[in-house]
Amino acid sequence: MATSARAARPRVAVAKFASCDGCQLTLLDLEDELLEIVSRFDIVEFPEATSRRSPGPYDIVFVEGSISAPEHIDQIKELRKQARVLVTIGACATAGGIQALRNWADHDAYRASVYAHPEWVESLATATAVSEHVKVDAELRGCPIDGGQLTELLTSVLVGRRPQIRDEAVCRECKRRGIVCLVVAAGEACMGPVTTSGCNALCPSYGRGCFGCFGPRTNANAKSWSTGMLRSGRPPEEVWRLFAGFTGYAEPFRTVITELGKTKG
Amino acid sequence: MITSPAHSYAAAARQWFLARENLGALVEAIRGTGRRVIGPTIREGAIVYDEIQTAADLPTGWRDEQAAGRYRLERSTNDRVFGYTVGPTPWKRYTFPPNLTIATAHRSNTFGFDQPVPDAPPLAFLGVRACEIAALAIQDKVFLGGPFTDDDFRARRAAAFIVAVQCTTSSSTCFCTSMETGPEVRGGYDILLTEIDEGFVIQAGSPGGSAIVAGLPTRGLSHAEAGAAIDNVEAVRTQMGKPLPMEGIAERLKLQLDHPRWAEVAERCVECGNCTMSCPTCFCTAVVEKSDLDGKTSSTERQWDTCFDVGFARVAGGDFRARPRDRYRQWLTHKFSTWWDQFGSSGCVGCGRCIAWCPVRIDVRDELAAIAPPIAPIVRPVAVEPVAASPGTYSIARLASVRPETEDTTTLTLTDLNPAFLSGRPGQFVMVALPAFPAVPIGISKLRSNAIDLTVRAVGPTSRALGSLHPGAKVGLRGPLGTFWPIEEAYGRHAVVVAGGVGLSPLHGLVDALVANRDRFESVSLFYGSRTPEDQLYRDDLAAWSASKAIDVAITVDRAGPEWKGRVGVVTTLFDMISWDCSKVTAFVVGPERMMQASVQGLISKGVPTDRIHVSMERHMECGIGLCGHCQMAGRFVCKDGPVFRLNDLGDMFNREGI
Repeated sequence: MATSARAARPRVAVAKFASCDGCQLTLLDLEDELLEIVSRFDIVEFPEATSRRSPGPYDIVFVEGSISAPEHIDQIKELRKQARVLVTIGACATAGGIQALRNWADHDAYRASVYAHPEWVESLATATAVSEHVKVDAELRGCPIDGGQLTELLTSVLVGRRPQIRDEAVCRECKRRGIVCLVVAAGEACMGPVTTSGCNALCPSYGRGCFGCFGPRTNANAKSWSTGMLRSGRPPEEVWRLFAGFTGYAEPFRTVITELGKTKG
Repeated sequence: MITSPAHSYAAAARQWFLARENLGALVEAIRGTGRRVIGPTIREGAIVYDEIQTAADLPTGWRDEQAAGRYRLERSTNDRVFGYTVGPTPWKRYTFPPNLTIATAHRSNTFGFDQPVPDAPPLAFLGVRACEIAALAIQDKVFLGGPFTDDDFRARRAAAFIVAVQCTTSSSTCFCTSMETGPEVRGGYDILLTEIDEGFVIQAGSPGGSAIVAGLPTRGLSHAEAGAAIDNVEAVRTQMGKPLPMEGIAERLKLQLDHPRWAEVAERCVECGNCTMSCPTCFCTAVVEKSDLDGKTSSTERQWDTCFDVGFARVAGGDFRARPRDRYRQWLTHKFSTWWDQFGSSGCVGCGRCIAWCPVRIDVRDELAAIAPPIAPIVRPVAVEPVAASPGTYSIARLASVRPETEDTTTLTLTDLNPAFLSGRPGQFVMVALPAFPAVPIGISKLRSNAIDLTVRAVGPTSRALGSLHPGAKVGLRGPLGTFWPIEEAYGRHAVVVAGGVGLSPLHGLVDALVANRDRFESVSLFYGSRTPEDQLYRDDLAAWSASKAIDVAITVDRAGPEWKGRVGVVTTLFDMISWDCSKVTAFVVGPERMMQASVQGLISKGVPTDRIHVSMERHMECGIGLCGHCQMAGRFVCKDGPVFRLNDLGDMFNREGI
């Protein structure tokens, strides 16, 4: 039984583009489950963890990072060909990440101001989500991703069902945990109502408004949330900053940012 | 501990005085019975319900300030312990936990499912307010009132000892008086506290409560203290936030499922679900399956859910409530309308949490007022006492103007009237006489501020004489006489007016009243048929009504020349245009008797209830007051018992007579 299970272990690859590697580390941080995971999955490609390299095809490819450099485009297309299931992990891969803020800026001017020899740096004018380039089968959101959701995704592959990852407001997690609403009781800025859950309301549990790192939830009413904050007297720059975080390039946050950009001047 | 018989027990329970510094003794005594005390304490800038170890954990000297989307704590000017109103925590947190394992399953060596035995720790809830006791009772109904019950809830509810506190303050978000749940606690507690300046009035509501109270350092209550306790609670009643007029709200909402405001509020609503999670009665849950990596052992985790969730009404193939407006409507109509159908009460207790904790400041009271505005109490008007009732006595009026309507029909405007005529009601008639001419009954077609209109068809000597009068002429009037259109019976319904020929005359005043009170009706429409275009009355008014949004007008003629661009056919052919739920129609019908019979038959076949059809009858009237005997019909006098009748009251006679 054990041998046949081993033989049938799904081949897993972990790859990255423009990113900080924090999401990949979440896999290594699953200390309690890690031994069980490697006994059930054959992690054949994982440069962050091992120098052993293995070509495809793979059963599951976890992709971290945004598509930010010219060579990324061919690489992600090749990875897609090698992947039976392609899962993007983290804000960079699913929304473009913090680096997608350059999508509203002058790319050449930024490059020139940062690098002594900008001509040596090859980068795209935009940082974009993997899903803008290839078909994505599943997403794990967050900056970084949540270990529990990663475990659930791996479990769902083994059990053979859809991952049970709820698409609901962070407010729901605050309320279930009994965290007092920072917006209502303290007048804090918070992205909770428009951001999808999964972090178990991590920031609000430390008295900070949600940064929106899990990105917009389905049906996020970003328009009402942004206009409500403006109407309550927050300056447009502050609201712009709130939406223009880790997942600002994901719709409908992108539209809010673009429209606030117009008024920001 | 469920204390349902507490009502009578409480009434007999003696009140004692407990000094404020001895409140800790109450906490101690309850903890001494092995219970954890859950009560108000300050955390994260709010008064939440959490574990209380000693009286020092209580929010002494703090008050809250609440408004839509806003909650702030501030130091109060007194040392009240319970000087705040309800905060973010609903007690359901402890009777209906936000996360609960409801089943486990395994398929390693054996295959099976297990339901965990409810683990209900003995708790005491300290500081439960009247609205919150009402909310617990509502969840009792939801979880325990039907054939299938929630074992975990039952166990937790039974294990809870309730220390209620009378409200002696209120917030702008409070509306318990509208929901009739407060402010005073009327039962459902083990111990009841009322805070006064010097301390607390304390009384038991159950044997368990009595046992605790008996061991406390209390003393007898002075008359002044007892009076202060009553006054403090009574004062709250006058300090409530905006009230919510509840009269008929369940029905009113059901009539407004397509109101444009649903879409407007849905544009503001961010669907965070905070209203439902903060609500002390919302009970929807979702389950999530958790398993080990290979799915050999699993658990079913139940979580608080919300009907605002995108997946709440989703099935394979789509979402039954795909739009935000659908979801908002589901929530509000459930809370204030359909909850009655399911559980025999409102789902709202007026605690105001959904208002205070809404981050986009939606106030259900404003939404309900806009979507289903309160209808002023229905006052059934009584007929004004007629002047010059008996034949032979007349009140004199002056003819102000004469307007021809058709070849043989004229509208007279009469002024310099006895004020009684101006207080007449649509549907009533007057007896009109000229010297040397017999008096004739004429329906009042329009009530003006200082005049009335009578439309007269020249068919007999008096009507011919009236039609040939000039402004300034005088006439004799008796009235106003007879019954009138019961307009208020159409409130909240589709008001349908069906007129044939000169039958529009006694309906004109009704149409004016329907249009003037348009907000009270679901819809207002007029179906008008005449023999030819030339036989139409009030062409200017018809044009104005047709152009107005307040009333839908459909017109037909039996026959017409080529210049007529409108519909041709009898008035019943217009009924094809009726698209509403006809059980919600109230109809008013006047015309030639055969036309009325056909119209009534058409309305009944569409599903209009017979007791919702009103007709005005014409019969030979000489006296107008039920003495001469000419106008009898179906055992009634048309002049005195009519001319406006409910169809049912005429019975079979309605179809038997007719010219």
